[in-house]
Amino acid sequence: MGSTAALKELQRDLENKANDLSKLQKDIAKNHQVRKKYTIQLGENELALKELDLLNEDANVYKLIGPVLVKQDLAEANANVRKRIEYISAELKRLDATLQDLEEKQNSKKEAIFKVQQRIQSLQAGKGKA
Amino acid sequence: MAENPAIKKGTVTPISSLFPAEEAHKASKRVQDTIAERQEQLDQLKGFMNENTNLINLVHKLPDELHHDIMVPFGKAAFFPGRLIHTNEFMVLLGVDHYVERTSKQTIDILKRRGKGLENQLESLKAVMQDLKAEASFFDAKASEAVDGLVEIREDYVEESPPEVLPLTNNTKDAIEDEEYTHILSRIAELEQQEEEAEKANEFNKDEQIENDLGCSTSQSFTGQEVRSSKVEAANLQSLSKDGPSRGKGPALNDSSLNNKALELAEVKEKVQAPVLATADHKVSRPSSIPGSDSSKAFTGSIVEHAHDIGINSTEQQTGARSSKPVSRFKMQRK
Repeated sequence: MGSTAALKELQRDLENKANDLSKLQKDIAKNHQVRKKYTIQLGENELALKELDLLNEDANVYKLIGPVLVKQDLAEANANVRKRIEYISAELKRLDATLQDLEEKQNSKKEAIFKVQQRIQSLQAGKGKA
Repeated sequence: MAENPAIKKGTVTPISSLFPAEEAHKASKRVQDTIAERQEQLDQLKGFMNENTNLINLVHKLPDELHHDIMVPFGKAAFFPGRLIHTNEFMVLLGVDHYVERTSKQTIDILKRRGKGLENQLESLKAVMQDLKAEASFFDAKASEAVDGLVEIREDYVEESPPEVLPLTNNTKDAIEDEEYTHILSRIAELEQQEEEAEKANEFNKDEQIENDLGCSTSQSFTGQEVRSSKVEAANLQSLSKDGPSRGKGPALNDSSLNNKALELAEVKEKVQAPVLATADHKVSRPSSIPGSDSSKAFTGSIVEHAHDIGINSTEQQTGARSSKPVSRFKMQRK
C-alpha cells in the first residue's frame, strides 16, 4: 500500500510538472510572436528614417495623431523616429533575455519530468515483480 | 552481398532501414507544407509589387491635367461627382504615422525605392523556396526508393598495392605484365651472378649509388611486377636489413605502396642484398662473402646498376644488351 501511495504521489507530481511545462511553452510562443511584431516595427521605422533623411529642409512633415494630421518639424520628426527605433531595439533585447530564461526553465522542467517518469517506471516494475 | 570476400568487405543496407518509407513520406509532407506557406508569402509579395507598379503609373499620370473630374466615394455605397485639384501634391506615408508632402516625381522616387525593397524580399524568398523544393524532392526520391526495396551497398576501397600482392597473383594481371615478370625473373638470376662482381667494386660504386638514386629518378619507371618480385625478397629481409640509414629507408619504403623510383631502387637493392645477408628461403639466396661490410654500406652501386639496367630493359622490352660489368655500363649511360 505504501508503494501505491508513493506511486500516486509521483504521478501527481508528474502532472504538475507537465502543466508547468505547457505553460512555459505557451510563454515561449508568445515571446516569439511579440518578437516578430517588434522586428517588423523596427524595419518600418528604419525605412521611414531613411526617407526622412532624403528630404529637403523645407519639406512639410506631418504626424498622424488620431484623426488629425499635425504639421511637424523635420528635425523633430527625425528625432522621434530615432527614439522609436532605440526603444524598439531595447525591447527586443529584453525579450531575447526573457526568451533565453524561459528556454532554460523549459529544459530543466523537461529533465525533471523525465526523472519522475523513470522513478514511476522503476516503482511499477518493482511492484510487478512483487 | 559482399563481393570478392577475399579482397573487399562490403555492407548492405536496405534503404528502407536508413529512410523508412513512412517517415520519408511524412518528412516530404512537412516540407511540402512549408513550401505551401512560402508560396503564399511569395504570392503576397508579388501582389504588393503589382500594386506598387500601378500606383507609380497613376502618380505619373495625375499631374498631366490641372484637375481631374472624378466620382468621389461617399460612405459605403455612394459616390458623388467631384474634382481632383492640386494634382502635383501628394501626401506620402513614410511608415510610422509620419506623412510628408511630396511632388509627383518625388513620390515616384519613394515608391521605386519601396519596390526595390520588395524585390529583395522576393529574391530571398525564392532562394528559400528552391532549397525547400530540393529537400522535398530528395525525400520523395528516398521514399520511393525505400518502397521499391532498393539497397545501399558500401564497399571499402582497398587500394591496389602491388607490392603487397604475392607473385602468384600475377596471373590475374595483364599478359603483358606476365611477360615482364618472366623477364624480371631471368634478370634476377643474372643479378646473382653480378653480385659477386659487385662486391669487388663495392666502395667504388657506393658513391655512384647515391647519385644514381637521384639520376635514376628521371629514368623509366618499373612495372608493378618488378617491385612485387623484389618485394618478395625484400619482405623476407626487412627484419634483417634494419641497420644502416639508407637500408632502413629501403624497408620503410617497401612498406608503403609507393611506386616511385626511389622505392624501386631501394627494393632492388634489398633484393640483391638478400644473398648478401644469406637468408635461406628466398630465391636469391646465395652465400655472401662480405655480409658485414655490405650491411655497413647498405648496398652496392652494382645494385643500383642493376636497377637501372632493369629499368631500361623494362621499357625497351629487354632489347638492351647486358654487360657483365654494371659499373661500366652505368658510367656509359651517365656519359
